[in-house]
Amino acid sequence: MRDHEMNPAGSDELVQRYLDQELSGDERVQLLVRLGRDHALREHVIDLEKLMLEVRRLPRPMVPDTFVARVMDLTAPTPAAWRRVFDVLWTPHALHWNLAGATAALALLVAGALVSRELFWQRASTPAPAVATALDASAPVLVRLVVVQPDATTVELAGDFNGWDPRRTPLEQTTSGAWAVTIPLEPGRYEYMFVVDGKQWIADPFAVEQSDDGFGSRNAVLDVRSPAEASL
Amino acid sequence: MALDGAADDAALVRASQRGDRDAFGILVSRHATSVLSVTTRMLGPTADAEDVAQEAFVAAYKALHGFQFEAKFSTWLYRIAVNKCTDVLRARRPGTVSLDATDEDGVTSWEPADEDTPHRALEQGELAWELDQGIQALPPLYRESFVLRHIEGLGYDEMSTILGVHRDTLKMRVYKARNILCQSLAHLDGVRR
Repeated sequence: MRDHEMNPAGSDELVQRYLDQELSGDERVQLLVRLGRDHALREHVIDLEKLMLEVRRLPRPMVPDTFVARVMDLTAPTPAAWRRVFDVLWTPHALHWNLAGATAALALLVAGALVSRELFWQRASTPAPAVATALDASAPVLVRLVVVQPDATTVELAGDFNGWDPRRTPLEQTTSGAWAVTIPLEPGRYEYMFVVDGKQWIADPFAVEQSDDGFGSRNAVLDVRSPAEASL
Repeated sequence: MALDGAADDAALVRASQRGDRDAFGILVSRHATSVLSVTTRMLGPTADAEDVAQEAFVAAYKALHGFQFEAKFSTWLYRIAVNKCTDVLRARRPGTVSLDATDEDGVTSWEPADEDTPHRALEQGELAWELDQGIQALPPLYRESFVLRHIEGLGYDEMSTILGVHRDTLKMRVYKARNILCQSLAHLDGVRR
């Protein structure tokens, strides 16, 4: 290190303001006089000037070609559930079939019809069970969902129940690596996914059931039953 | 009417707030270099820097509806980027290094973020590489002030808005950062003869 150990009082401030181009005319003269007298101070100022020069020459980082597109992808609005269903329903699909497949499909249809008829007759001949009140049947049920993501900064929940908008249902970190949320849901069947760090969509690994979402991924499926149904 | 690349930031922000995604794309394209520059100088030339720059834009997009034009869009964006970098730095060294380190010992406690590879030194030039490493070895509070002042060329008033710190404090941090860098690069001919 150069043995410039701060010179006469005020030199530091003068140098600092000189580098920030804030000196008045009188102060510039004052600094020049000091630089003329103090060799160490002069060398120090030259070092600082060289440093600033090299900093200005530092190259700016190259922005990758995919940068803007990636940001736009990350900020693209998530289609609502109805829109996803609509797209699946209205996207043209080519149906490939052969005789074996058609026979199997026909057999399934026949089997389904037979089972339905059997169930219908069974229900018609059975006395009606005790039915819970309408209020009980539709009362919200508190459902707690937990996922382990130790490296995540944020975890959110998107599903049929919140319009597939993950921002509406953030999870809270509970224990080390575990994230959880408790939500009230009316009895019914819901599909959902977790969103990790705002970009990675994952199905619940603990889900009992999963279903194809039509986009090459699988959604977790949640069957919420009313207390009355659950006790049957 | 669709906005083009000549529109000013305020017009593009207003259009983005109305849902014009093309306008937001222009803002991203326009400010990508500056944001990436800050994250790269703050975090080192790692994959983190690019990810954090992207996260800054995503965060800006999500919060855009609340932008009140009390500051320039670029100032607001810098603030988001710096906050993101601070989060990453805190996560990188939990419990070992204080971001508030203000003594010059911080120089030795912060290792360069990148490996010292001959290839890189040749590619970037020894002096620039050493300077880059020196900047990344600065204590974070000095580093953010130095980067905004001398890499991005901002004034102290704008820096004060970005960092929420009084300008006199920022001047002192920049001053100390310069001196630390000068000392740490004293062995190089380009900085010290």
